[in-house]
Amino acid sequence: MNLIQRRSLSRRTMLHGLGVALGLPVLDAMTPAFAERGPAGKAPVRLAFVYVPNGIIMPAFTPKAEGLDYELTRVLKPLEALRKDFFVLSGLRDQNGEAGPDGAGDHARAGASYLTGVRPKKTAGADIHGGISADQVAAQFLGQRTRLASLELSCDDSRVVGNCDSGYSCAYSNAISWRSPSTPMPPEVNPRLVFERLFGSIDPSLTPEQRKHRLVKRRSILDLVHADTKKLAQSLGAADRRKIDEYLTAVREIEKRIALAESEATPTLPQFEKPAGVPVAFADYAKLMYDLQVLAFQTDSTRISTLMMGREGSNRVYPEVGVPEAHHSITHHRNQAEWIEKVTRINVHHAELFGYFLAKLKATPDGDGSLLDHSMVVYGSGLSDGNQHEHSDLPILVAGRGDGSLKPGSHLRFASGTPLTNLYLTLLDRAGVRPESIGDSTGKVQHLSGV
Amino acid sequence: MRAVALLALLPVAGLALAPGRSAPPAPSPFDAQVAPFLKAHCLGCHTKGSASAGLELDSFLKSDSLARDPESWKQFVHKIRTGQMPPREMPRPDAVQIKSVTGWLAGELARQEREIKPQAGRATARRLNRAEYNNTVKDLLGVDLRPADDFPQDDSGYGFDNIGDALSVSPPLLEKYLTAAEKVSRAAIFGPERVPQRLTELRSPRKDALPLTQVPTQYDEDGLTLPQAFHTTYRFPVGGKYLLSAVLSGLRPEGCEPMQLALWLDGKKVQQIRYQPGGVTSFPGGPMEVYGQKAAFARQTVSAGDHWLAVTVEKIYEGMPVKFGGPNPSKIVVPEPPPFVFPPLPADATPEQIARRKEFEKNLPELRKKQQQGLMGGVKIGTVEVGGPYEQPSGPLPAARARLFVGEGAHAILGNFARRAFRRTLTPSELAPYLALFSESRKAGDSFDESICGSVQAILVSPNFLFRIERKHDDFELATRLSYFLWSTMPDETLLKLAETGKLREPEILRAQLERMRKDPRSGALAANFAGQWLELRKLESLQRDLEKFPAFDEYLRMSMRHETELFFNEIIQSDRSILDFLDGEFTFVNEKLAKHYGLDSLNIHGPKFQKISLAGTNRCGVLTQGSILAVTSYSTRTSPVVRGKWILDNLLNAPPPPPPPGIPALDETKVPDGASLRQQLEEHRKKPLCASCHARLDPLGFGLENFDALGRWRTVDGKTPVEASGTLPGGKNFVGPRQLAGILKQDKAAFTRALTTKLLTYALGRGLEKYDRPTVEKIAQTVEKENYRFSVLVREIALSLPFQQTQKAMTKK
Repeated sequence: MNLIQRRSLSRRTMLHGLGVALGLPVLDAMTPAFAERGPAGKAPVRLAFVYVPNGIIMPAFTPKAEGLDYELTRVLKPLEALRKDFFVLSGLRDQNGEAGPDGAGDHARAGASYLTGVRPKKTAGADIHGGISADQVAAQFLGQRTRLASLELSCDDSRVVGNCDSGYSCAYSNAISWRSPSTPMPPEVNPRLVFERLFGSIDPSLTPEQRKHRLVKRRSILDLVHADTKKLAQSLGAADRRKIDEYLTAVREIEKRIALAESEATPTLPQFEKPAGVPVAFADYAKLMYDLQVLAFQTDSTRISTLMMGREGSNRVYPEVGVPEAHHSITHHRNQAEWIEKVTRINVHHAELFGYFLAKLKATPDGDGSLLDHSMVVYGSGLSDGNQHEHSDLPILVAGRGDGSLKPGSHLRFASGTPLTNLYLTLLDRAGVRPESIGDSTGKVQHLSGV
Repeated sequence: MRAVALLALLPVAGLALAPGRSAPPAPSPFDAQVAPFLKAHCLGCHTKGSASAGLELDSFLKSDSLARDPESWKQFVHKIRTGQMPPREMPRPDAVQIKSVTGWLAGELARQEREIKPQAGRATARRLNRAEYNNTVKDLLGVDLRPADDFPQDDSGYGFDNIGDALSVSPPLLEKYLTAAEKVSRAAIFGPERVPQRLTELRSPRKDALPLTQVPTQYDEDGLTLPQAFHTTYRFPVGGKYLLSAVLSGLRPEGCEPMQLALWLDGKKVQQIRYQPGGVTSFPGGPMEVYGQKAAFARQTVSAGDHWLAVTVEKIYEGMPVKFGGPNPSKIVVPEPPPFVFPPLPADATPEQIARRKEFEKNLPELRKKQQQGLMGGVKIGTVEVGGPYEQPSGPLPAARARLFVGEGAHAILGNFARRAFRRTLTPSELAPYLALFSESRKAGDSFDESICGSVQAILVSPNFLFRIERKHDDFELATRLSYFLWSTMPDETLLKLAETGKLREPEILRAQLERMRKDPRSGALAANFAGQWLELRKLESLQRDLEKFPAFDEYLRMSMRHETELFFNEIIQSDRSILDFLDGEFTFVNEKLAKHYGLDSLNIHGPKFQKISLAGTNRCGVLTQGSILAVTSYSTRTSPVVRGKWILDNLLNAPPPPPPPGIPALDETKVPDGASLRQQLEEHRKKPLCASCHARLDPLGFGLENFDALGRWRTVDGKTPVEASGTLPGGKNFVGPRQLAGILKQDKAAFTRALTTKLLTYALGRGLEKYDRPTVEKIAQTVEKENYRFSVLVREIALSLPFQQTQKAMTKK
């Protein structure tokens, strides 16, 4: 917790402590050099993570056979038309979600460790502590060339604060994306605000000159704030200073973005009507969020995104598919057929919506192929059996071809207990990020480029 | 942390002084009594290797554990005293022995407690949270745009979202600060931004009305409380004129008089129109379909911001054809439809087809009658469309400009603004960069106003504005603490002036200010922000109910529930009532919707206006029986005694039960199979010693409220099972029903007073309470008890307390 102490550590050790270690060669290369990788005009790789809460009814998800000729299960059926575009991955485990001495709270842990591979500290107070999530590791490197380093979305607009799950702060289940062990990236839940984040909230009726003028103004304001904040930080004690430093980091980040925006030609607004707010029907809501995510990739506003269908432990009701009961409550089905059926319906519904996303990515031309060709999309949950709170043999799909680095279409079964973070490590490696480890990863997984 | 370390050393230090005496020390009561008691009655289960509930008592066999971990010891004493431990199935220790052991321990712990010295503590720099940002910007610039509603949700700690340590800043948030600063400063100086006209369809999910078989003799003629009405809260982006249209859905009999529709804004009827839907009938004499037909109201002037918007069908049962038997029947004569003639059956009809036809012919009259009955009140307002804004006011707002342009010239204007924005006076060198920015902008050719606007924006994104940083511990910082505590906004001019003259800390002045602030309407922020979190009222906003099971749940009910609890809380603040009213106050506030919902029809309350009513002689009292609380502690399909019990322990007694031990899945009430009542299931569950220790406290409290369903309505049966709202608390107190439960809670006034004090002090300080705050809580609570539990005393004692008045000097970094 002490900054002075931290400073004396080597950069490498420090990164280890944060749950991620980066190989030095990449660190040296850092970004500008990286951005020029590959022939000019070549489409970049995009990474998307879609999270579904409360686990999945596994017998209705996992295909019996492995390899290419498996039979689609009920949950996967909606993705039939796209079966050559995704892997089904079995055997992966998130051991940091499992109960240890920290006891109950499987849902909070599942959400908080899903992308970080780090066991979150059990606290409902102010001292939250987790790890850096895979998407943010990628964003540190792939995010430098785009207007936004990353995009965090959620279709869960319910408000919760305080203690969400058996003594775990709500911060753990509200976000799966973590910028640092103590800074979750709160996802945007309002489609209108996602749009404004992507394309700016500056009045679209302004002339290009007026827009430019406002940008210049923003920059001089930030210059002032930057200097002022630095001066202020000098006079503060350690705890206050930590907060102000956090602020300063944000100032620097935005300065970079503004410089980038200034160097760009007038941003072209897409042919997409600005959403008014959160649609009432869940399917409309989810589709709109998927649309915005496609739009973000299409306009190269960002290359990294996360989307939560709901926060872990979500109690959304789905009367539109015949489930008026709260989602989390009925996942504890005690093997009653009627309830298993209801949970399955939610699982199928989520898969249908995910199919909408993949189809749209596939239908969107991008460089020498489609967006899906250049993407790596991970779909899954931090729980397999929500009834028993199982964190192993997780339901995971990986879609897209990652610009030729993935050869999807098969059902792969990894050695039981393979850390889920090994998958992320592999994907990030193929996307050119090359982290040395992520959370509890122990190595890479095989066979993603064909058996 | 340091205090703990010091205390841990104390017994050792005592020993170090001992060698001067010669006689061997007699074994301490701890070694003589407590340790053997633990070994005999507790260690059997709670020891290394077989630690039930994850608890190992091995390290508690030495007396220094009292100083090391008094919190755990307090719990042990409580559990042993109240008979929760050892569990019922185990052999009971001798009662005298229990009394002696727990008596000695309690005395020792109390002695230890008395030795804790209160400290001021220190709250980390607090970023304004969303509510505070909105209020502050509104007071600062006089424009109410609520920009922070677009900010990401604030993280919270210790149950509140104003805790400095938990509030972080991410780059997207800073981007939003920049946008917000631009928006509000431009609105204040140049007038509100022009908003493009658009058409928005508003929906409000709810269940259709049940078909009536006969016209009710008495019903809500305004229609606000009926399921056919439409209610929502809509944010109008700017003031101006809006075109509002009601889109109908449902069926209507032929030959009705035109309908009378009413438009309501914030509970006031602002327009009535008569509307005759066209529509077609699918067969002669059949119902007219009115789906999608639109009735437009005249353009309506609306101010910017959130408004409760409702459209109702007035006198919905009037003007129907005579045969429906409603009041004031229609004068429109519709020719009797020709009798329905069935097409002839085909020659080769099977016997089954013939039989089916005969059956149908026989049932037809009955079917038609049923269909007609369904038509009574069969029209509803499906959706509402908002078009606009038209005639948007443009140009500067004089009131907002007057607030900003104080004095002559940039120096005066910006100096004044920065003083209010930073909530303190600035040194000339602090102001200089903002003046320089102004000059730069002027030089670049911007107008005077434009240049002021730029500097105002810079001030609004300065950490001095966005954070409450305490460095000097002066009157300005005290004024800021007071105003954010009671008003969730910046200090007003009176407070700033008093701080400037250094008078704020004078006891008489401070007391007078506290009273002024309490009576000011801005103290309503306490209801929204403190009560909203303390009582978990904010959860109401995202509450979902299974509409099949709870068709009564709609937006109007949700709004009314929230409003009731806020009014109740405000009444306690404004009328300076006893805080014990939260437990059993025999009054509340209801409108027609809630009065009906609560079954208080005899009160004859009509309309949307809330009225204060007495609850004497009813089944309700205090916050526990308010619909809002009962709803947020239920599942979407049913009530939950466990959640309700936990709510009481968490919020009213500040004694949250520990999470279930590792390896034990949390009890899930939804697992209860059909047939077995919930109570039986929970009783079964409580038989396990591991579960019993907590659920013996949780469940009975929750069962005391079982007479209220998941929407807070009174009931005596749950499905087919009669409700049994009795319980026995650990320690043997019996009760039946919510009133007796409230009575039992009120018996322990001390526990509730300390719980509320702890919560409000946490909120006021913006930090979690530490061990050294305990004497402060105790002192405040005792004064509150002495002065009749009045709310103002609680507020005053918090404001006068050591940690509120002072703050520990920050340790500065080299």
